[in-house]
Amino acid sequence: MQTVDGNKYRNILYRVFLYICLLLLTVVMLVPFAWMLSSSLKLNKDIFVFPIRWIPEPIRWQNYIDIWKRIPLLNFLVNTVKITVIVTAFQLLTSSFAAYAFAKREFDFKNQLFLAYIATIAVPWQVYMVPQYIFFRQLGLNDTHLALIILQAFSAFGVFMMRQFYASIPDSLCEAARVDGMNEYKIWAKIMLPLSKPALSTLTIFTFVSTWNDFLGPMIYLRTDTKKTVQLGLRMFISQYAAEYGLIMAASVVALIPVLIIFLSLQKYFVAGIAMSGVKG
Amino acid sequence: MKNKALSKRMRNNLLSYSFILPNFLGFLIFTLGPILFAFILAFMEWDGNHAMKFVGFENFIALVSNQRFLAALRNTVVYSLATVPCTLVVALGLAILLNQNIRGRAFFRTVSFFPYVASLVAVAAVWNMLFSPSKSGPVNMILYSLGWEAKSLPAWAASRDWVMFTLVLFSVWKNMGYYMVIYLAGLQGINSELYEAASLDGAGRMQKFRYITWPQLKPTTFFVTVILTINCFKVFDVVYMLAGGSNGILNTSAIVLVSHIYEESFGKWRLGYGSAVAMVLFLIVLVVTLIQFKGEKNYANS
Amino acid sequence: MKKRLGSVMLACSLAAVTMAGCSGSNSSGGGTTSAPTAADAGATTDATAAGDVKTLKWAIWDINSVFYYQPLVDEFERRNPDIKIEMVDLGSAGTSDYVTNLAIELSGGGTDFDLATMQSVPQYTTLVSKGVLAKLDDFVARDSWELAQYSGLTEQLTIDGALYELPFRSDFWMLYYNPDVFEKQGVAMPTNDMTWAEYDLLAREVADPTPGNEIYGTHYHTWRSCVQCPATLDGQHTVLDGNYDFYQPFYDMVVSQMEDGISRNYAELKTSSLHHSDAFAQGNTAMYYMGSWQIQGFINKIKTGEYTEIPNWRLAKLPHAPGVAAGDTIGTVTGISIVENSSKKDEAWEFVKFMAGPEGAGIIAGTGSFPAVMTDEVIAEIASMDGFPQDAQSKEAMKKGKLYLEMPISPYTTDIETILNEQHDAIMTGAETVESGIKAMNEQVSAILE
Repeated sequence: MQTVDGNKYRNILYRVFLYICLLLLTVVMLVPFAWMLSSSLKLNKDIFVFPIRWIPEPIRWQNYIDIWKRIPLLNFLVNTVKITVIVTAFQLLTSSFAAYAFAKREFDFKNQLFLAYIATIAVPWQVYMVPQYIFFRQLGLNDTHLALIILQAFSAFGVFMMRQFYASIPDSLCEAARVDGMNEYKIWAKIMLPLSKPALSTLTIFTFVSTWNDFLGPMIYLRTDTKKTVQLGLRMFISQYAAEYGLIMAASVVALIPVLIIFLSLQKYFVAGIAMSGVKG
Repeated sequence: MKNKALSKRMRNNLLSYSFILPNFLGFLIFTLGPILFAFILAFMEWDGNHAMKFVGFENFIALVSNQRFLAALRNTVVYSLATVPCTLVVALGLAILLNQNIRGRAFFRTVSFFPYVASLVAVAAVWNMLFSPSKSGPVNMILYSLGWEAKSLPAWAASRDWVMFTLVLFSVWKNMGYYMVIYLAGLQGINSELYEAASLDGAGRMQKFRYITWPQLKPTTFFVTVILTINCFKVFDVVYMLAGGSNGILNTSAIVLVSHIYEESFGKWRLGYGSAVAMVLFLIVLVVTLIQFKGEKNYANS
Repeated sequence: MKKRLGSVMLACSLAAVTMAGCSGSNSSGGGTTSAPTAADAGATTDATAAGDVKTLKWAIWDINSVFYYQPLVDEFERRNPDIKIEMVDLGSAGTSDYVTNLAIELSGGGTDFDLATMQSVPQYTTLVSKGVLAKLDDFVARDSWELAQYSGLTEQLTIDGALYELPFRSDFWMLYYNPDVFEKQGVAMPTNDMTWAEYDLLAREVADPTPGNEIYGTHYHTWRSCVQCPATLDGQHTVLDGNYDFYQPFYDMVVSQMEDGISRNYAELKTSSLHHSDAFAQGNTAMYYMGSWQIQGFINKIKTGEYTEIPNWRLAKLPHAPGVAAGDTIGTVTGISIVENSSKKDEAWEFVKFMAGPEGAGIIAGTGSFPAVMTDEVIAEIASMDGFPQDAQSKEAMKKGKLYLEMPISPYTTDIETILNEQHDAIMTGAETVESGIKAMNEQVSAILE
C-alpha cells in the first residue's frame, strides 16, 4: 500500500518538474522571438529604445508590405527554395550512398579516406574560399546557382553523420539479406534507407537550414540581382545611411516560416518505433 | 588460387568505391582541391593577385610572436572547453525530455530548434538588446533588482571580463536545438525491447539511462562531440555579430582564430599567413579528433 | 602493389587539381600595365566608327539608396551612344560586404569588371597594393585632364608617383544640430566658428542627464575616428605618427562627457544596433558630428515620414583647433577606378572623366551628395535642394577649408588601424584608462613602424 502511494507521489512530482522545465524552456527560447516579432512591427528608430516596449504603439504592419516592395523578396525566396531543395536531394542521396560503404563494408583505404573526409570539416571555409572562387570562375561558374549547388552538395558532414547512424543498425540484417541473394545496391535501397528515416530527416533539416541561411557563398558568387537569395536580400536593408531593422526583422520572420514547416513536417520520423520496425523477427 | 583471391578483393573494393564515388568525386574536385591549395599557401606569400612567393616557414614564425594570434588561440580553446560539454549535456537532456510522450511535444521541439534556424543578424541583435550593458537592459534590470550594484553591472558583450561568458551562453542557447535533433534521431534507434526488459527487472529511470540509453547512444555522442568541437574551433559569425558590435572591433578577450584569419586574409590580404593560422587550427582539431577516435574504438570494443 | 598504385593515382589526381587552382592565380600575376598609345586610341575610334556597342561592367554599392548612379549612367549613355554601362551591386557600404566582395572579385585575374568604385582611401590603398587597379597618369596626360579642380586631393591619392583613381565625391565632417533642443533648453545655438573647448562647454550646457528624460548634449558613433580624427585638425600630427599623446585631450573630453551622461554610453552603443542617424533622429540629441553623406539620408527619411522629431535640423562647421581657421575638417574620398584587367580601358576612361568632371559633379550635387569638384555653383545647387536646411549658416557650413584624410595612405594602414581600434575600444569601455590606452598605442605602433 505504502509503496504504491509513494510511487504515485513521485510520479506527480516528476510531472510537475517536467512541465516547469518545459515552461522555462519555452520562455528562454521564445523571448527573443517575441522581441523580433515586436520589432518587425515598429519604426526603425523605435526598435533600440529602452525600456523595451513589447507591444508596439502604433503597430506598423507596413513593414510586412515594404519588404516585398523594397526588394524582390519573392524572387529571392524562389531562388533560395530552388537551391536548397536541389542541394538537399543531392546530399541525401550521395551521403547515404557513401556512408553505407564506410559503415557496412570493408575495403582498402577505408580508414584513411574516412579520416580525410572528417579532417576537411575542420578547415574553415574562409581559408580556401578565395582559391575556390578563382577556380570556379575559371570554370565559368561564377554568378550561377550551379556554383552554390556544387559548393554544398558534396559534403563530408553528411557522410560522417549517416555513417554513424548506419553503424547502429545491426550487421545481422545485411548478412541475412546477402544470404537471401540481394546485391549491395538493393540492400542499401531496401534495407538501410528505410531504417534510417530519422537520420535522413535530420540530414534534411540540417542541409535545408544551412543552405537556407547561407550568406557568404551567395554574396561572393552571385552578381545578378535576379539570382540572389533571401539572406542577401536581408542584407540589402543595411546601407551606408542606416540599418533598417524593422524590415530586417519582418523579413527574418517571413524567412523562418518555410524552415519551421519542414521541421514540423519531419517530426513524425522522430517517433520511437518507426526505425526499429523490421528488426523484430 | 591467388588470382581468384586477388580479383575477389578487387571486385570487393570496386563495389565499395562505387558507393563512395558520387560523393567523393565531387568533393575531391570542388572542395579537396582548393583545401590542399590553401595548405600549400601556408608556405607562400600571396595577396590574391600578384605571383605567389615561396617563404618557407616564415608565416609560422610570424604567428607565434603575433599577440593577436596568441590571444585568439587562447580564446578559442577556452570557448571550446566551455561550450562543448555544456551544449552536449543540455542537448542530451532536452532530447530525452522531449522524447517522452508529452502533449504538444512537436511544439516544444520546434521551440527549441528556433534559435538555430533564425537569421543570425536578427538573433544577435535581440540578444545584445536583452543583454544590454545599460541599467535598463532586461537582464541587467533583473540583476539590479536582485541586489547587484549599479556601477558594476556587467557590460556583457562589450566587456573584456564578460564577453567570453556571453559568447558561450549565446552559443549554447543557439545550438542546443541542433544537437538535440541529432540526439533525438539517435534515441529513435534504441530498441524499445531493451527498456521493457529493464522495467521487468525493476530498473528505475536513472538506471535505465545509465545502462541502456547512454551506451546505446555512444556512436551519436561520438559524432556530436567531434562536430561540436570542430564547430567551436571554427566559430566566427557568432563572435563577429555579438562581440564585434556596431564597429566590428574585437577586443583581445573576444578574438578567435577564424576572426584573426579573416582580418589577415581579407583585411590585409596576407593569404599566406591566413593559411598558416588555418593550418595550426586544423592540426589542433586533428589531434583532438584522433583522440576522440581512439576513444570510440575503445568503446566499440568493450 | 595494389596499395601503391592506388596511392600514386590519388596523389596524381590531387596534384592535377591543385595545379589547376594554381595556374588560375598565376596567370595575371605581375601583369604589365597597359598604357594607352596612339595606336590604341586609333583602334578605339575605328571600333566606334564601326558601330559596335561596348558594355562596361561597373562595381557599385547600395544601388537602392544611392541616387546618383542611374542619372549618371543615363546622361553618359545619352552622350556616348556606343557605350553601355552595366551596374552591379556588390553589397552594402554600411557593412564590410562591398569592400570584401570587390576585393575577392578582383583576385586571381579572371574578373570581367571594367570600373570599380572606391568607397574609402583604405580600400583604395589595399587594392592598389594588390595591383588590380589601372594607372591613370597616361590617360590624364593624354587628355590634359585638369587635376587642380580637385583642390589637392589627387596629390594625397598618389602612390609611388602614380594615380589610380579620380575622386568624384568628397565628403567631409560637419556638425548636425537640432535647434529645437537648444531652444527648449534656452541655450545659444552652435556657430560656424567654435573651438573644441567651446563645443565641450556647449554640449554640457544644453545637456540634461536626468534619467528618464535625458537630453544628450552630443553623440559619438563608435568608430575610433570619431574621437581620434579631430585631434589631427591642427595639422601638427597624423595617424601615422607613432606617438599618440596628442589624442589625450580628446579622449579626456569624450570619456568625461560620457561619464557625466552628456553623451550615450559607448558599451551600450556598441552592442546596440542603434544607428547614429537614428540616435540623432530620436529628437533628444542636441548635436553630433558626422560626414556630409548623412545629409542625403536625413532629407530622405524626413520626406518619407520616418523621422518626425527633427524637422528643423541644421548644419554647422566642425569645431576647430584654437589658432586654426574654421572650416578645416576631416575628409573622405570616394573615387572611381579602372580595373587593371579590363580590355576596354579607353571607354572606361571616358566614363571616369564624365563622372569625376564638372558634368558628373552637377548630377551628383543634384541628388544631395557632395562632389569632389565643389564650386560655388555646386554649393548653391545643394543648398537649394528640397529638404536642405534653409538658414544661411548651414549654407555657409558647406564651405570647407583644408581637408585632412581620415586615414592617409601608407603601407602600414591596416596594421595601425587594428592597433588603434583595439585601444579605442579598451579606453571607451573603461578596460583601460586614457593614459594606459595611449601608451599601448605608442608602444605597439612604434614596433610596427620600425
